[in-house]
Amino acid sequence: MIALFDTLKNNLPFSLLDDAAFEQIEENSQIAYYPRETVIISEEASPKCVYLIIKGTVEAKNAEELIDIYHTNDVFGAIELIKDAPSAYQYIVSEELICYELATETFLTLCMNNQTFKTYFFSSIVERMELIKEKKDYARTADMMVARIDENILHAACIVDADTAIVEALAKLEESRAVALIVKNEYGYGIVTDADLRYYILHKEEDELSKISQLQSYPVISVEEETLLFNVLLTMTEHNIKHLPVMDDKEDLVGVLELTDLLSYLSNQTHFISVQMERAETVDEVIEASRRIEIMVGVLHEKGVKSRYVAKMVSEVHKKMYAKLFALIFPKSWHKRCTLLLLGSEGRGEQILRTDQDNAIVFENGFEPEEKEAVLLHFIETLDKIGFPRCPGNVMIINPKWAKSLDAYKEDIRHWISTPSADGMMDMAIVYDTYAVAGNIDLFKEMRSYLLDKIKEHKEFLSYFARSIESFESPLGLFSRFITSEKNHKNEIDIKKGALFALIHGVRALSLEYGIKKTNTTQRIKELNELGYMNQEDARDLLETLEVINTIRLHAQLEKLQQEEEIDNYICLTTLGKLERDTLKEALKTVEQFKKRVSYHFHLSMVS
Amino acid sequence: MFGTLKRKWNKKHLTDERFAFLFDETSNDEVVVFDCETTGLNPKKDELISIGAVKIKGNKILTNEAIHIYVQQKKQISHESITIHQIRHCDLEDAVPIEEAIEKFLYFIGNRTLAGYFLEFDVAMINKYIKPMYGIALPNRQEEVSAIYYDKKIATIPQGHIDLKFNTILKDLDLPTLQAHDALNDAVMTAMIYLKLKHVKRIRNVRRE
Repeated sequence: MIALFDTLKNNLPFSLLDDAAFEQIEENSQIAYYPRETVIISEEASPKCVYLIIKGTVEAKNAEELIDIYHTNDVFGAIELIKDAPSAYQYIVSEELICYELATETFLTLCMNNQTFKTYFFSSIVERMELIKEKKDYARTADMMVARIDENILHAACIVDADTAIVEALAKLEESRAVALIVKNEYGYGIVTDADLRYYILHKEEDELSKISQLQSYPVISVEEETLLFNVLLTMTEHNIKHLPVMDDKEDLVGVLELTDLLSYLSNQTHFISVQMERAETVDEVIEASRRIEIMVGVLHEKGVKSRYVAKMVSEVHKKMYAKLFALIFPKSWHKRCTLLLLGSEGRGEQILRTDQDNAIVFENGFEPEEKEAVLLHFIETLDKIGFPRCPGNVMIINPKWAKSLDAYKEDIRHWISTPSADGMMDMAIVYDTYAVAGNIDLFKEMRSYLLDKIKEHKEFLSYFARSIESFESPLGLFSRFITSEKNHKNEIDIKKGALFALIHGVRALSLEYGIKKTNTTQRIKELNELGYMNQEDARDLLETLEVINTIRLHAQLEKLQQEEEIDNYICLTTLGKLERDTLKEALKTVEQFKKRVSYHFHLSMVS
Repeated sequence: MFGTLKRKWNKKHLTDERFAFLFDETSNDEVVVFDCETTGLNPKKDELISIGAVKIKGNKILTNEAIHIYVQQKKQISHESITIHQIRHCDLEDAVPIEEAIEKFLYFIGNRTLAGYFLEFDVAMINKYIKPMYGIALPNRQEEVSAIYYDKKIATIPQGHIDLKFNTILKDLDLPTLQAHDALNDAVMTAMIYLKLKHVKRIRNVRRE
């Protein structure tokens, strides 16, 4: 076996093939070398074979216009061969190319024997994203978090034909004790739930309702048997539905999943670490429980759980951890007289891996315990032990700036707003993302109301505040090419500077204007939608974008973690598959549009 | 002229007429890149374990026609060379007697030019077997890839020290390194070096980082 083929095995779509297929590939491919400027496939010509890039870059052009770029592990020529159509583009080598050439016949045989492999070439980005996630099957720990639907939590389906009389259908439902009626139509299923029955009772006369098909929601939203419970939950919450039919791979009905069952199932399993955290009686036990978090993150990500759920879960566990540490480290006499705050990404509930500790403490006015410094230091040192790097900006309770009385904070806020400065803006952003995790929450609530009230009085502040979304250029240039100009980061982009910051900060500025109290970016976007600032479609786009960026970032960070490298925000473009790169490009474009929107909203072109 | 003479002398000693084709004038544009795995680095004492070979035609490496032959071992392979080559005894299940291996190899190479990295060693290894078998040494034209690399590199750094380590060359030419080190994979990598060297006029001195 030539080891070069091994790398193919790990890349879609070849990862879909079995060993026998690889033998065929090996027996029927050659390695070719082409210097720059070689035209591999001319416009209107048919490819001679399928090309898999080992090294180098190929550009697809259409009358000098750049359509696409192919890098290592990408495939070209395949679609044309499957369609048996001449190429619409010219494929030209832009960086010296070494590639496999897989014989056309072999390729077509592979396609014929493996439909998934074939359809991959025509699948949409979303479908491919799913494939990527599914293919990452790691079996490190069989954590229950990543359970897939299993028949035990399903209800038997009560199926009736579309032209069944309503009353008859209901009698059948009652008899079978099922949770919802599934209506079998000529093409696919519909569903009738309690809500539809309410409608029936109120409107049966005026709408002349008689057949069950008149009541159904059709076509029904359903999931496949193998779907991750987490993603099932997402589907249900997104569509706001409580019953979900589950199909097998032949599109036959397996059963009906009910939201309440799903929630109880998940909550039973997911809180394992939380429970361990809650039961901890010593600082060491808390540290022990915290160590499990990182392992869990890796497993969840690899199992394809959406990164916003991973973040949510980590943040829940972290909150418990902080509360526990507060109870164990801070003297009892403090508990009602101060509040422990989480700031920055931790405050937003978006820190998945431990990138840094951002924390602060508010004291009741006039409360000045003697042992203050020693206690605060002990807390920070405990976080060190758990593995939270210290905050480079020194936003920690051992910094007197972030450990003071309520009045002192109010004075800060007043000052930041009345005399805008770069540092003040940053502090403001940090404070607005605050989550009060332990102690006397009222102290924090007073601080937050003060902040929001002050903003209302000084709307002009918001334009200055929002301005920093324009601090970094987008890493996407002309013709949607990535711009990677940093010296020490060849072929890498800083995703935080390039996109995430603008997205988070734009949302933050808008939320501040709307007086939103939530700190999480996802939740803020949802509230902005509810408050009418943006419509549902824009909100969903933004949420998806956030998800794509975070997933790709998390993936890169986990990889760095595994190789014991420093965790940063760089994403290596050459290790991304073509599909991931395309998705990332879409995400970056959405961020750019959002930046423009925010810029317009706050009249940023007028303040400088 | 001396070369032709030596060639004739060599051919005169050929004892097996089946292999007269080795001496035919090279007419095609094909090159064979090969690599041997051995029990040690002394051609006199050490034995051949496996041969990997691929043909290069024009700008293509014909991996679909590659051969990878394992040779039956008389002695146990030492632990040391097991760790170097990662060949275990169980890998030798498909192994053939040395005579068969050599014949298959000779039919594969024909009269083609041979190329390799530290080719001298591999050729000496093969010669060790074919001299007693057929009375000749490999008559094929030979190209040493590290020498081609050296020539192209020296043009850019005339006084410099040139590192000729295999991995250094691969890295410098921006070629993928394969994890597996067996005769076939080494031959494929060497073939990529050869192809690339044939296409570049000179190697740029400072690599882009």
